[in-house]
Amino acid sequence: MIESILIDGAIAGGIYSLLALGFTLIYGVSGVINLAHSGFFMIGALLFATSGAFLLPVLEPLGVIPTFILILALILAAISVATIGGIVYKLIISPIIGDDVAIMVVTVSLALIFQQIMLLALDAAKLTYIPVAPFIRGATWGVRNESLLAFGVSVTLFISLWIFITKSKIGGAMRAVSQDREVAMLMGINTERLYMLTMGISAAFATVAGVFYASSVLVGQAPPHMWLQPLFSSFAIVILGGLGSIKGTLIGGFIIAYTETLVAYLIPQGGQIVPAVSLVIIMLIILIRPKGLFGKRIEME
Amino acid sequence: MHLLEVENLTKRFGGLTAVNNVSFHADEGEIVGIIGPNGAGKTTLFNLISGFLKPTSGTVKFKGEIITGLAPHKIVNRGIARTFQVVRPFRHLPVIANVMVSMKSPRGARKIEWLKTIERKALDLLEDVGISELMLEPAENVGHGDLKRLEMARALATEPDLLMLDEPFGGLNPLETDYLIKSILRMHLDEPSRGIVIVEHKLYALMKIVQRVIVLHQGEKIAEGKPEEIAKNERVIEVYMGREM
Amino acid sequence: MVIHYLKRAYSSFAAHVFDIPPRLLALLLFMLLIFLPITKPDDYIQRMFRDIFFFATLAASWDLLVGRTGQISLGHALFFGIGAYGTALLYKYFGFPPWVTIPIAVLIGVSISPLIGSPCLRAKGPYLALVTMVLPLILNTLFKYSPLLPITGGERGIGPLPPLIPVEFFRTIGFSGRKAYPMVDLANYYLGLVLLCASSIILYKIANSKTGMVFVSILDDDLASKACGINVTRYKLIAFAISSLFAALTGATYAHVITIVNPSGFLDITLSFLPVILTFLGGIGTLYGPLVGAHIYFIIHRYVLQTTHIPYLTGTQWTFTRDLIFAAVVIILIIKWPRGIARFVTDKLQDLEEARDLDERGKWIWKKYKKEKTK
Repeated sequence: MIESILIDGAIAGGIYSLLALGFTLIYGVSGVINLAHSGFFMIGALLFATSGAFLLPVLEPLGVIPTFILILALILAAISVATIGGIVYKLIISPIIGDDVAIMVVTVSLALIFQQIMLLALDAAKLTYIPVAPFIRGATWGVRNESLLAFGVSVTLFISLWIFITKSKIGGAMRAVSQDREVAMLMGINTERLYMLTMGISAAFATVAGVFYASSVLVGQAPPHMWLQPLFSSFAIVILGGLGSIKGTLIGGFIIAYTETLVAYLIPQGGQIVPAVSLVIIMLIILIRPKGLFGKRIEME
Repeated sequence: MHLLEVENLTKRFGGLTAVNNVSFHADEGEIVGIIGPNGAGKTTLFNLISGFLKPTSGTVKFKGEIITGLAPHKIVNRGIARTFQVVRPFRHLPVIANVMVSMKSPRGARKIEWLKTIERKALDLLEDVGISELMLEPAENVGHGDLKRLEMARALATEPDLLMLDEPFGGLNPLETDYLIKSILRMHLDEPSRGIVIVEHKLYALMKIVQRVIVLHQGEKIAEGKPEEIAKNERVIEVYMGREM
Repeated sequence: MVIHYLKRAYSSFAAHVFDIPPRLLALLLFMLLIFLPITKPDDYIQRMFRDIFFFATLAASWDLLVGRTGQISLGHALFFGIGAYGTALLYKYFGFPPWVTIPIAVLIGVSISPLIGSPCLRAKGPYLALVTMVLPLILNTLFKYSPLLPITGGERGIGPLPPLIPVEFFRTIGFSGRKAYPMVDLANYYLGLVLLCASSIILYKIANSKTGMVFVSILDDDLASKACGINVTRYKLIAFAISSLFAALTGATYAHVITIVNPSGFLDITLSFLPVILTFLGGIGTLYGPLVGAHIYFIIHRYVLQTTHIPYLTGTQWTFTRDLIFAAVVIILIIKWPRGIARFVTDKLQDLEEARDLDERGKWIWKKYKKEKTK
């Protein structure tokens, strides 16, 4: 059983970290709390399944390996959701940036819209959940290869983002803006476009996380309420790791994932209590150390 | 016993030391000025004394009691009031409410009478600084010079024993500057036991008011003395002008 | 040319009509609502107004916290639900009548508010928003499934609860047999109206007291507020407590109006969202905003949308689409009018009034000038 705990925890950790990463990225760079973030997560899974459903029958007979077809579907889904994210930023968030209340209301509405879209799609297809095809069938070492792939991709993306942020010019711009927006603007950084890009990246990551979440954790099913539980967990991760910190999100992600896995395995009926776990952790952190492990230091204001 | 006693106050932000081992004092009835080039740590010093920042080390004593690390509102209740360099009015409240908010509710007083008393006191303060005709105007509609006066009235409303002004002359035209100099001097005459500490860049205005000057540079105190002495101090001139005499 | 005259005519009309003090308008509206049931409207419409009253109160309590003090709470359903479940559980286990269970439930709600508020309001950051968003959803899940199921009745909930004024009462004053039942509904209507008026008056008094001023100062600049000697955290907690008091009161009372308490009716995310829409439709940070918004929302939602149908869509499809359209409309509304529709209207009216004053003064100056010239 210890093996299962370790493995499940690791996989969930990778996925949760990826999801929370998008959330903390957009907050750190633009100050926007995107409550629809896990909505992108869900829509990503939907778009993946849809494009997979279209591409498989077309490309498989041509001899293309299903895995690659699905990778293509994933890339398509990620790009679409990233575009949606950028458009959402431009049309909906940009006009009201700075007005925190309005932004939260708008993003919550957006999350509800995503949920409704999901419900409509399911209704049309007469299903209760969207089936998400696994990339790799079969198992290695008693673990589904799928889960290994999920873990591997998550960590890779994480590292890629880390490199991007620390080494590239745009990454530097992101760091600059997250520290002091006005000075960054004075230095000629186009914050509007930067925010749009960040939103796109954030949404793309959410998509990948969503697809893997559906295929690994939820064993190939994407129900319409799949965005709720990960939302709680990402809040906990972001608060634990510190809002705006990438390191924190990674470490926080694994801590939360393992805590949830332990609770689910060790406590009877633990699966039901898991949402409360996120809450307890959030409250504890706010009480003891609000800025989290590596959060930006906000002293005066 | 000094009214305000700052001992070895230091503030470090990661690798940057904004205030380094600064000690000074202000007595009852004194008007003290703090000057220094930009980045000398003057506003940080204010923030440390008024409780908005916690020092890395050192102590602040007020009326003999240690106030280091207290929350800002508690420090205000002990008798220190401060203004901000960039005005921070309550935009949605009318000018008179801005002042009323600073006033303490008397214990156990009946609400209606209290409101009237406070209104009258607030109006008096507004008259003192010269903006009483704006009393019902929402603060967001008021011009910069008048907002500076509002800032002062709001600080005075807390009935402080020590008044700390952060660049009160910022953005004022010569007429307003002159008016403010006279106001501060008049305030001083009205409340002789109140101490005033002023951080300011406009040296010609400041030197007319203060009795003693402290000079900061890169977080350290480099000189202290009467205005005439400081004006001739070589080190001070060097630091401001950037050249050697 | 014509446009110019129309504008002039409108502004003078506006000056006369809208100069009516708001209190008079409120009184007129109140009168209207008192006498509404006499016109013997549809049951459906009466119940719609009843819901308007309750949810307007809920929205007003939310607006005090968010619009007036600036502390963003995204889970008002929490206290609404606690009030409801509190009174339901007290009835289920102790059999107390509503006028006992409701105050106790409210007390429970208010006692919980500092537990949540203290850590969240003290720390700088979006914590209150995140925690309040998550809490009711967690409770929703917890109440629906496992360990607490025997206590909370899961999805079916707890019920039936006794109505606020029991049927027997009406029987004793002469409404025999079945005629008593509509009187219970009528009583609920008026009790809702009483709740709305009482809470509006109390909230109005709070807004115009020093506490109210302090709330706005915190909203505008909490740092400057501290510099004025205000214990900002304490006032934030006070605002949170008042807000949760009214939310719990509304929840507890409404539970006895619809006589059943279940998670989807009292802890759903849409309920957290409802006071937000209502307030934004009306005007955030104002006293009339939530009331106006509640009227607009419910009349459109219950009346307009229920009676229209888009062909080609089946039952559930239409429900999903309708909710989707609603969320989309909210987004559009907020982008166009970030401070709320009614606020936008009153601001415009104020502008017109100022323009009219300037216009008058301009004309007067021009006349004087002309007189001087011809001398």
